[in-house]
Amino acid sequence: MNKLKLNYTSLSFLPILVCIPLGYQLIKNIHFGGFKLFQEFLISAFNPKIDNEIIITVINRLNETILIGFFSWLVSIIFGAIFGIISSNIFYKIFNIPHFFYRIIRFFLTIIRSIHEVVWGIVLMQIYGINFSIGIIAICIPYIAINSKVFAEQLETIDYKNFESINQINAPKFSSLLTIVWNPIINTFKNFGLYRLECSIRSTVILGLFGIGGIGTSIFLSFQTLNFRELWTYLWSLAILIILSGLIFKKIKFNTTNKILSIFFITVFFITILFSFLYFLYFIFNNNNFENFNSFSSLFKSSSDLGLFDFLKLILETIILSLLSTGIAISLPPLIIGIFNNNTSKIFVKIFAFLLRLIPTPVILLILLTFNNPSLSLAALTLGLHNAGITSKLLFTNLDSQDRRNYIAIKSLGISKKTSWLLGLFSQQAKSYLAYCAYRSDIIIRETAIVGVIGSVGLGWQLQESLSSFAWQEVSIVLIAYSSIAIVGELINGKIKNSLT
Amino acid sequence: MNNTILELKNISYEYKNNLILNKLNLKINSGEKIALLGKSGSGKTTLISVLNGTIKPTQGEVKLFNKSFDKLDRKQKSKITTIWQDLRLIEDLSAEQNVNCGLIAENNFYFAFKNLLNISSFSKAHKYMQLCRLHKSIYDKKISKLSGGQKQRVAIARSLIQGSNILLADEPFNNLDPNLITIIKNLLLENVDKNNKKISPKAALVALHRLDLLNDFDKVIGIRDGKIFFNIKRNNLKKLHLDKIY
Repeated sequence: MNKLKLNYTSLSFLPILVCIPLGYQLIKNIHFGGFKLFQEFLISAFNPKIDNEIIITVINRLNETILIGFFSWLVSIIFGAIFGIISSNIFYKIFNIPHFFYRIIRFFLTIIRSIHEVVWGIVLMQIYGINFSIGIIAICIPYIAINSKVFAEQLETIDYKNFESINQINAPKFSSLLTIVWNPIINTFKNFGLYRLECSIRSTVILGLFGIGGIGTSIFLSFQTLNFRELWTYLWSLAILIILSGLIFKKIKFNTTNKILSIFFITVFFITILFSFLYFLYFIFNNNNFENFNSFSSLFKSSSDLGLFDFLKLILETIILSLLSTGIAISLPPLIIGIFNNNTSKIFVKIFAFLLRLIPTPVILLILLTFNNPSLSLAALTLGLHNAGITSKLLFTNLDSQDRRNYIAIKSLGISKKTSWLLGLFSQQAKSYLAYCAYRSDIIIRETAIVGVIGSVGLGWQLQESLSSFAWQEVSIVLIAYSSIAIVGELINGKIKNSLT
Repeated sequence: MNNTILELKNISYEYKNNLILNKLNLKINSGEKIALLGKSGSGKTTLISVLNGTIKPTQGEVKLFNKSFDKLDRKQKSKITTIWQDLRLIEDLSAEQNVNCGLIAENNFYFAFKNLLNISSFSKAHKYMQLCRLHKSIYDKKISKLSGGQKQRVAIARSLIQGSNILLADEPFNNLDPNLITIIKNLLLENVDKNNKKISPKAALVALHRLDLLNDFDKVIGIRDGKIFFNIKRNNLKKLHLDKIY
């Protein structure tokens, strides 16, 4: 008998097997108590509330969302670029700084990046209370680290010979550094900057669900009051904002040869740095909301009721949650696209995927909770579905732009449309699709915190519990565990990505 | 009087257990034009990299103006200019911005910044580009849009604009047509422009493959397997010498 040999195409479908244990638990947990609510939720999508009052509220909430999103983007992209330079090899070579510091700063940024903005948000809210700037700070902290990684990765691709050539001119170190990194930084900003603005707006919406403000808060409040028509008004307005911003971003072209525009960007750059620095000082020295967080020593003094066994169970739950969600996010899109492989179905699949991306994960989870008991499987399904919406977007884009000659050739052999799609189209995308999914898996691990908080699963739930009881020692233990899982996950995914690219 | 500008003392360089340069001794005096001959892989490029300080030798000492290279400050080190075989221009910058990069050593950070923003003065860069017979229409073109010969001349202009005392060049006449080779050779070696004004470095060491270009050099050095096989006046060069290294 021949040995089973897996290829990239089969590997893309294999993770769907996670649906077997997941489906078993979901069926076991099904209840019909909230089925009517779910029905009402679906019907309301076609009948959102539209009156003057709600339109004004929508405009105000969207303004808040855009403002928080924009400022967190601006600060995080600028400081991301600065930290990107500081955490790149080139910086240490030019200034002859020992490599040890390079490793330290990289490690520090990895830890910061590993903790989701929602976690930063709820921790900061617990310490400082709810205010507008907490939203910006909560997004900025991990985003600076995420952006710095992207900038640093681009700087690592600089041809070493170019570096040698500029370095050999023996110009002042900062002049050499600037000359070498300028274009990679500008190009990364051009290719990646606006995408990060979209991410910033999405994060603002999610943080809004936890009380930061903006449209997210309105979505959450209308869900809590079961006002689904209002909820859909907010969701559709958010959809319009995302579609419109996507269209605008496509049109925006950064012209770096325009001198006036360049000077404007540089001015914005320095003003943002100055303002952020001054605000940071103001925030540190003028914020006295420390009633709940007396001193750092409380991190070590407060007692913890969290047993080792329970804690390990939570860690295991978080890991399983990540694996199950990743399995769904990888396999569901090719499976659905492959099965519903005609033009009409494709439109419906695209709309469904858009809705999965649009509706924040906590809202998806709350909707699913109307007919299913809270469980690890439900949380995994939520996270998996949301991320499947994102991976399917990439898959659709790549498949639509792919050369169809192979597909036509296979179909001409008399092979069915679905099999031809699989062999002629998807098989050529499978490798790059899996590489993207490995990257997406990093994000899924970080996002386990969001569904954990709402769905009573894993470390996210424990974090919420510990914060509510001001058990700071527990909070720090949970954060360390959470960060460690994310870092190990990132290392494993990095290896997978490298083997695929 | 000692007029040695650059000196190599017992230089060896090892890379991944391979001896690339083997106990080299060399002096470059003021005003000397030296041709460096050798097969591909003989160590010419590595020798140039050691001379300009890009590579630290495993053993031995490099001296510039009788001072150990490690003890020199940035300004003193900038007295050496290099034309690399693979040019090493910044692809995303325009031709004039690349040439201006040669001036960042003698200017402050603000100059480098203005150059990248494209708001610095390019008059000096244009002068050198003109000398290298580069047409005005390509001044603001990105390097990636230029032909091989044009890129070669941009690299030469960037090197000349530095106003250094020593020129190290690795196959600088690649990609150039015969007419241009004569013009560029004069620029690099004869020290003068068309107005008889001194513009090129005081000493030059040029790695070559083409023997018909040797006429303008004072000395010829032959290198093989990382060892100098001969270091003689050009007039004394015989076929016998060339047989040793090719």
